[in-house]
Amino acid sequence: MLLGYIVEAVKNRDIAEQYLIAVFNDVQNELDEFTKPGVNAFCRLQLMARKKLIDFFGSSTEPVSEEKSNNKYTAKMNREQQIVFCGVHWQGKTIARLATELNKPDEAIRKILKECFTIIRSSSK
Amino acid sequence: MIRDYIDSGILETYVMGSASEDEVKELLHMKAKYPEVNEALQQLELDMEKIAMHMAITPPPAIWDKIEQEIGDIIPHNFQSPEPYKERNNYKENRNHDSGNQFIEVESESSHMRIHKTWKWVFAAVFVLGKIFLGCAIYFYLENRQAQQQLQELKIELKQLKK
Repeated sequence: MLLGYIVEAVKNRDIAEQYLIAVFNDVQNELDEFTKPGVNAFCRLQLMARKKLIDFFGSSTEPVSEEKSNNKYTAKMNREQQIVFCGVHWQGKTIARLATELNKPDEAIRKILKECFTIIRSSSK
Repeated sequence: MIRDYIDSGILETYVMGSASEDEVKELLHMKAKYPEVNEALQQLELDMEKIAMHMAITPPPAIWDKIEQEIGDIIPHNFQSPEPYKERNNYKENRNHDSGNQFIEVESESSHMRIHKTWKWVFAAVFVLGKIFLGCAIYFYLENRQAQQQLQELKIELKQLKK
């Protein structure tokens, strides 16, 4: 699952595998976080991967772009929702950056993100 | 209020790792305080898993070996497992070899003393016997004094009879 996410983010299988190894090597430093009650291990790993990918994301000057990947969830989102969801999920963009790029307040971006999750939830039923 | 907080999209921001430090602190506080927030957060985490599951790629079999090797490189090679504990029955021998650091000074600083429970009965018996001896001493003292008085009286009577 984690490899799938990293591959989608970096679009290169070999680089993705390197990141995957780096993430698992870091697990030993964050064992406390994993053993906390109620922690979702996958989400924790994904957050670690996102942190590792900051450098990779940082090198990308890609402006607003819609659907970076083809999947059944993003296919149901409108252009704006795709920009926000893909921007945060696969391009590591902050809410503030997306707000600037889309010329909208932070709250509006968060609302759009919430709509994206509503679509994901309804699609998986 | 809680509904507004959940609907604000802050939970989604947190799950996707885009929340600021202040937002994370606030969210963790709300999560601990309100079960609705915790429940909503868990649901979002499941949604994240669903997305990831949909796009999952099976890692090549060799990747775990690579991870294992990397972790092995991080762990120092001169690491030695600790020696199992052995009870020291060669006390004198150890004291002769390095008497300096082997033992800890155990002289007690407390002014109290601990003794065996059986001493309680010994002390009780001593106390009772002490009382008996004291009673006897008083009794014989009084008896003696009375006898002395009687003897004195008899002496006086005897003198009077002689006259």
